Amino acid sequence: MTTTEAPATPPDVRHRIATTGARHTLGRVLVTLARSIAIFVPVFLVATFVTFALRSLSGLSPARIQLGEEATPEAVARVEAQWGLNRPFLVQYVDWLGGVLHGQLGTSWTNGADISTLIGLGLGVSLSVAFFALIIGVVAGFALGTIAALRRTTWIDRAITGFVTVISVMPAFVVGIVLVAVFAVGLHVFPSAGYVPAAQGVGPWLAHITLPAVALSFDVIADVARQLRTSLIAAYRENYVTGAIVRGLSPRRIFFGHVLRNGLGPALATLGLKFPTLVGASVVTEWIFGLQGFGRFANDSAQAGDVPAVQGVLVVSIVLVVVFNLIVNLVLARVTPASQRGV
Amino acid sequence: MATLSEKVLTEAERNNRAGAEETGTTEPVRPAAAPSTPVLSVRDVRISDQAAGQEIVHGVSFTLTPGKAVGIVGESGSGKTLTCRATLGILPAHFEVTGGSIEIDGQEISGLSSAQWTALRGATISAVFQDPASYLNPSIRVGAQIAEVLKVKKGLKRREAHRQAIELLHAVRLRDPELVYTQYTYELSGGMLQRVLIAAAIAADPRILIADEATTALDVTVQAEILDLLADLRERTGLALVLVSHDLAVVAQLCDEVLVMRQGEVVEQGPTHEVLHHPQHEYTRLLIAEHEQYGLDKFLATDAIDATEAAGAVAAGDKVEESA
Repeated sequence: MTTTEAPATPPDVRHRIATTGARHTLGRVLVTLARSIAIFVPVFLVATFVTFALRSLSGLSPARIQLGEEATPEAVARVEAQWGLNRPFLVQYVDWLGGVLHGQLGTSWTNGADISTLIGLGLGVSLSVAFFALIIGVVAGFALGTIAALRRTTWIDRAITGFVTVISVMPAFVVGIVLVAVFAVGLHVFPSAGYVPAAQGVGPWLAHITLPAVALSFDVIADVARQLRTSLIAAYRENYVTGAIVRGLSPRRIFFGHVLRNGLGPALATLGLKFPTLVGASVVTEWIFGLQGFGRFANDSAQAGDVPAVQGVLVVSIVLVVVFNLIVNLVLARVTPASQRGV
Repeated sequence: MATLSEKVLTEAERNNRAGAEETGTTEPVRPAAAPSTPVLSVRDVRISDQAAGQEIVHGVSFTLTPGKAVGIVGESGSGKTLTCRATLGILPAHFEVTGGSIEIDGQEISGLSSAQWTALRGATISAVFQDPASYLNPSIRVGAQIAEVLKVKKGLKRREAHRQAIELLHAVRLRDPELVYTQYTYELSGGMLQRVLIAAAIAADPRILIADEATTALDVTVQAEILDLLADLRERTGLALVLVSHDLAVVAQLCDEVLVMRQGEVVEQGPTHEVLHHPQHEYTRLLIAEHEQYGLDKFLATDAIDATEAAGAVAAGDKVEESA
């Protein structure tokens, strides 16, 4: 019977129970981490295997790039032997995977450069833009979604919902071109193209990535705002809000302490889905803004038939997406224990 | 005057004595003779659904002095919950108080601002409800939710709030307060959750507690324990209770005065024993008759239970539970 008169609890028992609470939280985070990694490993293996099989399936060969169409079969065989392509498929895969695990993505067929270095250069540009877009998207989407939820069914809510619907259907390349025309060509506020690393000054760096980031962020703003509005309104209908009101908590406290905490889950989960889209959409924006980024590199490699480079791009994309989702899962586990119970 | 929670804590050891005294509290009260000023007075309150344009509650009046309990009985949709919500200022959208007045601790509520309501709720008037799990945040440990009230309403520091929250959990007779403090709603049973909800409701030392069907979803023994706890709080701290129930037995156990409501009207009102023993209105008589007809006493009194009666007992099983 749990509800009978309690005997006085000794102090050491109190201490034990207090630490149990902390261990409880840590345990939950560790379980989430372990579960995510358990999913990550098979996903990574299958995805890399499919990625590596691309070369055999496509029939592309470094010999064709280096020697042209007129090469003799002997010359082709010689070049392929140099690249180790005459070995059995599984041996090649294990060899390549070993390199991948050590951060070595191989050598480019077109120029013999180290692919890890090439991707590293492009990734700095792309991640700067993607994360800036993510920040803009989260801040603006959060503000719009929250205001719409707090002023639900008023003209403010309708105006925000309308605006969000409009920007959600505007493709990044259209937005990008309009932004260049208005802010770079028309107003001369931002540079129209190019990239300056953060090491050469934060100001110029921000100036160069602002327009592409804004162009990419529209989609994130729309999704976060709509998701947040819906889940906040649903959370406000819950009885625990009435409970908090009768306990005399202020509206501000109820919003930040109770409603937001439970309404944040779906919006965070949306962000996890949004990140791969951001990486994908960067191909288009990098063309418009003349950035030598990851997306541009992927595009160029694919067009040149540079299979190791494309494989490297895919491996990095897989890692990026999975790691980002892992982070989102951990944050979700921290914010809402309910997500752990599948509720 | 010591605060409510202090009284709860210092006198927690007196539980047995208070339990013994509780039998004395069911004596009838004469509100006119009560020396203390009312903490809650509801005068001819009318509530209307503005969207449908019709009046739902047609005039409810009662006064409540410290340490007293008023019961409101009636079927679903009779307006008892709306009356409670009006006194808490949490009427649903489109519903408005269209007549009469409500005074909480001498303060007329119709002109209160949002900030004044926030100050009043929790500290002067509080409430517990049916389905306690849903009235606590599922993502926050229950203890932290009690501590939050202590921090916000009483300005306590983190450590002190934690200590007092655990003492409140102890005061509502939860056996392992430290453990319960760290648990989430889904880890606790209905009876335990109702105790936690009561602890959260009385954390800021309110003078009035509204219990709206607070024991309805609980099984009979737990219901009796919760009612006992409420009686005990009232006895020791001078908490004034408004007890809403569809069950006459619950109200009879705890209240000095009872209002019987039907279809938004108070059909009968008076001291509990008067209403129970000399019901004037047809509906009250029906409620009492049903208790006599379906109550457990009838089956216990019957020595020879024949086959037909046994079948009837099975059919009326849920009624038995309600009225026991």
